[in-house]
Amino acid sequence: MIETRELTKSFGNKAVLRGVSLTVQDGETLVVLGRSGSGKSVILKHLIGLMKPDSGEVLVEGEPITGLQERQMTSVRRKIGMLFQSAALFDSMSVEENLAFPLQEQGVRDLKIINERVAEALEMVDLPGEQKKAPSDLSGGMRKRVGLARTIIGKPRCILYDEPTTGLDPITSDSINHLIRRLQRRLGVTSIVVTHDMKTAFHCADRIAFLHEGRVHFSGTPDEMRASKDTEIMNFIEGHSGDTDT
Amino acid sequence: MQNILTKTGRTVLAILAYIGEVARLAMESFLSIFSMRVRWRLVMRQIVEIGTRSQMVVIVTGAFTGAVFSAQLYFQLQRLGMASTVGSVTAVAMFRELGPALAGLMVAGRVGASIAAEIGTMKVTEQVDALRSIGVHPVDYLVVPRVTAMMISMPLLVAECCAFSVLSANYVALNVLGIAEAGYMRNLIFYVGLFDIYKALIKGFVFGLIIVFVACREGLRTENGAAGVGRAPTEAVVISSLAILAVNFILTFALNIIFPAN
Repeated sequence: MIETRELTKSFGNKAVLRGVSLTVQDGETLVVLGRSGSGKSVILKHLIGLMKPDSGEVLVEGEPITGLQERQMTSVRRKIGMLFQSAALFDSMSVEENLAFPLQEQGVRDLKIINERVAEALEMVDLPGEQKKAPSDLSGGMRKRVGLARTIIGKPRCILYDEPTTGLDPITSDSINHLIRRLQRRLGVTSIVVTHDMKTAFHCADRIAFLHEGRVHFSGTPDEMRASKDTEIMNFIEGHSGDTDT
Repeated sequence: MQNILTKTGRTVLAILAYIGEVARLAMESFLSIFSMRVRWRLVMRQIVEIGTRSQMVVIVTGAFTGAVFSAQLYFQLQRLGMASTVGSVTAVAMFRELGPALAGLMVAGRVGASIAAEIGTMKVTEQVDALRSIGVHPVDYLVVPRVTAMMISMPLLVAECCAFSVLSANYVALNVLGIAEAGYMRNLIFYVGLFDIYKALIKGFVFGLIIVFVACREGLRTENGAAGVGRAPTEAVVISSLAILAVNFILTFALNIIFPAN
């Protein structure tokens, strides 16, 4: 469904992506792992056209999107939903208005249909009846869930998750992991999850891509990753920095 | 010497690049407006924010400036026996120069800062990216309603500023300073024309556009978290205030060609 070919991106003198090639099949859940600053979120933003690469290509359902202008991206973005790291809820709107917004932008005007779909999306993320709350009244985990509800309400074919469990306690993180898996099964969507949380990676992934020094260092199933003898991968899984106390 | 030239060159290039960015944002906004992508519900909300809520500051500024201006004029002109011209000079000065410039500076401080802070916060909290990911162009949703509201509100605010300045000048001149009403009113009607009002409204319209485009540009370019959000409103106010003063000078000459002073 989504493919990147030799994607490169630099910020000033720092080359973040140095030729990233990835393919994500229909209905698959790909987890992109890597250390902080390795360019995971940058890849995700390229997939939905929020960033333009220095070179390389992004293809969505076989169509290159890299050369498209901002206004031409609308049809691509209706196929892909994104959950942002901070959830990025519109703080001037209530939960209900946040969820109704993508529907209204798609041209849905019938209030009854909007209300039904908002209630259904909130029920899917285990937050039924929270329509009237303001984003400022929500906890970190609830914000992520509402963000996810806003992402799925437009019925995208692919969902991008940017660090879905960052900043959450272990219990909330676990419930988000289950939610990602459950939505993937229930909606049959393609999912790309960017994280450095090994628990999320092993729980959600059909396949894992490990980024190191701006390239895909490893790509395989979670079992293949666990069995890998590569030093970089072993250090990442076990959380070894190589530093000492002295 | 070479160092000075290099620095001057860089500054000029930076200013030109900035003007280019603002012009591009303006072009994109007007294309959006002409393509009928205006969200009128948001425009109404912005008219309340930009127009209705700026009235007090603009009225107070206009009223006190008119009052002190007429008092100072009286102190000087009465020695020449020209006290009856206080009203007309005050009105001409307020309509042609002070009204639009003062209202512009006040709105830049109140509204420009607020626009830059609001959009800047949305930028650093990924809300602008969230809009784009939903397929909504940030210019359509964030800039166009503010530009439309500003185009409607700013000439009205300038008109209010000028009207209250003339009213307060009249009150001070006639009731406090004791200038004879007949001569005062005759000069006021004789020297102040419709063209002076046109000039005030045109200037207000242009200053409004400067404020809103500079503020939106600063908001949309905000980076570096809280520090960036803190910097954006300051930059918006400083840049738009300086631009208003500079453009006012150019407009004064340009409008004098279209509507000659005599």
